[in-house]
Amino acid sequence: MAGFAKTGGDMSGVNLQGLVKAYGAVQVVHGIDLDVQEKEFVVLVGPSGCGKSTTLRMIAGLEEISDGDLTIDGRHVNRVAPKDRDVAMVFQNYALYPHLNVAENIAFGLRIRKTPKDDIAQQVQEVGGILGLTDYLERRPADLSGGQRQRVAMGRAIVRRPKVFLFDEPLSNLDAKLRTQMRAEIKRLHKRLGVTSIYVTHDQVEAMTLADRIVVMHDGRIEQIGTPMELFLNPANTFVAGFLGAPPMNMITAQIVAGDQGPVAEFGGQRIVLQPLPSLQNAVGKTVTVGIRPEFAKAVDDSQPDRVSIEVDLIETLGSEALVHATLQGAPFVIRTDTVGQMEALGRIGGFTVDAHLVKVFDGETGLALPGQVLNQ
Amino acid sequence: MANMNLYSRGDKLFVIVNMILIGLFAISTLYPFIYITSLSLSTGFEARAGNVMLTPVEFTLEAYKRVLIEPQFWISYRNTFIYTIGGTLMSLAFIIPGAYALSRPQLYGRRFWNLVVAFTMWFNAGLIPFFLNMRDLGLLDSYFGIIIGFAVNGFNIILLRNFFEGIPQSFEEAARMDGANEFQVLWKVYVPLSKPAIATVALFCIVSRWNGFFWAMVLLQDEDKIPLQVYLRHVITELTDDESFGAELINAPYSVETVSAAIIVCSIIPILLIYPFLQKYFSKGILLGGVKE
Repeated sequence: MAGFAKTGGDMSGVNLQGLVKAYGAVQVVHGIDLDVQEKEFVVLVGPSGCGKSTTLRMIAGLEEISDGDLTIDGRHVNRVAPKDRDVAMVFQNYALYPHLNVAENIAFGLRIRKTPKDDIAQQVQEVGGILGLTDYLERRPADLSGGQRQRVAMGRAIVRRPKVFLFDEPLSNLDAKLRTQMRAEIKRLHKRLGVTSIYVTHDQVEAMTLADRIVVMHDGRIEQIGTPMELFLNPANTFVAGFLGAPPMNMITAQIVAGDQGPVAEFGGQRIVLQPLPSLQNAVGKTVTVGIRPEFAKAVDDSQPDRVSIEVDLIETLGSEALVHATLQGAPFVIRTDTVGQMEALGRIGGFTVDAHLVKVFDGETGLALPGQVLNQ
Repeated sequence: MANMNLYSRGDKLFVIVNMILIGLFAISTLYPFIYITSLSLSTGFEARAGNVMLTPVEFTLEAYKRVLIEPQFWISYRNTFIYTIGGTLMSLAFIIPGAYALSRPQLYGRRFWNLVVAFTMWFNAGLIPFFLNMRDLGLLDSYFGIIIGFAVNGFNIILLRNFFEGIPQSFEEAARMDGANEFQVLWKVYVPLSKPAIATVALFCIVSRWNGFFWAMVLLQDEDKIPLQVYLRHVITELTDDESFGAELINAPYSVETVSAAIIVCSIIPILLIYPFLQKYFSKGILLGGVKE
């Protein structure tokens, strides 16, 4: 097992500087700057067409880099062939060679590199052991389940002991239960092997659970980089706020007015008290977007005096918690609330309250978070 | 057909008409085989009298005995094997890399090259220019001339190219990430994944080579190099007027017709034997399970 212990102290980070991808006159990735540290697990997340897979494929060498610089392990690799970049990739559709059995699939890269047969056999056994594939080594991909195929695809990447793992939406073809299971396996594997990993997904739950750092992308640009909790608590703009979190952050268009004890967001005759921060006080009179996470809004009944009134449309009970779907100013507003011992109270919900420090205020025009609103983990 | 109640009257009629048409087609395809086989197993007298229709009349193997003792038959048989095996291998050696190159999106001038190949499917130089070309290249009366002269076929290239294009690109990318060069991607990934298509193309090549008659007749004069089909023509056209053969036939239990039929049956057997070996590739989708669609 020694061969697949954590890698040593060699620097195997990935650095992207001004990385651009253009197809003719159409630019799809507009200058990405990203520094992935050695052994770090970075997740690129964003909606379809945001350029995350293209960025990953540029790192892999499967797409030509139109402009900018890419270094892997300190080496400039813009013009280096994929096979010489010392990276391995797990594909969305597995891309297992159907004519080869599991052992041959895992060994393919080693054979191409003319590794001695005894070493190949030993390494395949080791990887098979790590991934729980020992009993399936003689089977063809067609005879495996989705999860097993995905494990073989990972085995093929692991066996080469690359400096960097690239994952291109590897779990998107699995059912929900298997996805949760495989997510944990990938996390465990990363802990065990300690290989720098870059993972692409459009699933924000995968991003939140797997990443050391998340890179949120949109329209070929990076919107924000940070740890999952940083991004969850302190989104830099309305896009990130709306993309991370399930259900997403509620957004209300409001006007900032001066209140007795500081700034207040006013909308449709209702008010939400804001933090007395200079940036918010300076925004008095401006139109802003107020963001409230469903988890931070506290559902209350009609008797609460300082509540914001909402019209409840539907309550989804999920077990220990429920999602209260309501309407506020004609827009949907969701509250996540506990159910244990509260089922009766759910029927009486007529509004919500929220602590001022849990409210995020974004510029109404640019969508950027007004400065100074830092929520600590 | 298991539950005809599910069909309306019109559907039933359609199925019945279909079956009749398919049956007629099958009979029209099978009948020449049956007729020629029966002819080859009948006596010369009955054959010439036109009495053979479905089954052999006065069963005899004499025509085969006469064919198999003829040295020229074995020479031609050997030649046909040389042209078929050599020609098919040569064709595949050109067609597989050609189709792969044309299927690559990164091929420079891809549209143009595809057009060039497709052009040869619609237009060719014609008999005389081709003959003169072969003559000037010194390829008349040579094994190599026949093998190389018809090695590349535009239709087969396009057929295989289409199949290669249908293989998910992630296989190629995975192989490239694993360290494979273009040749290894082709040889270790695309060729094994394309066995059904390659088997189809190989069968086309084998059948056309085995049955190749016209160009062999035009380009080959040397009797030591002619294939079976050209030899068959010699038997039919020349032996009919051959005096010594005519004298031989007076008391023989075979005739030109039964001998020709026996040669035809002998020439059909190898091609019939190949098909079962290739058939498994036609019915099996080898890509199953490799990628999740």
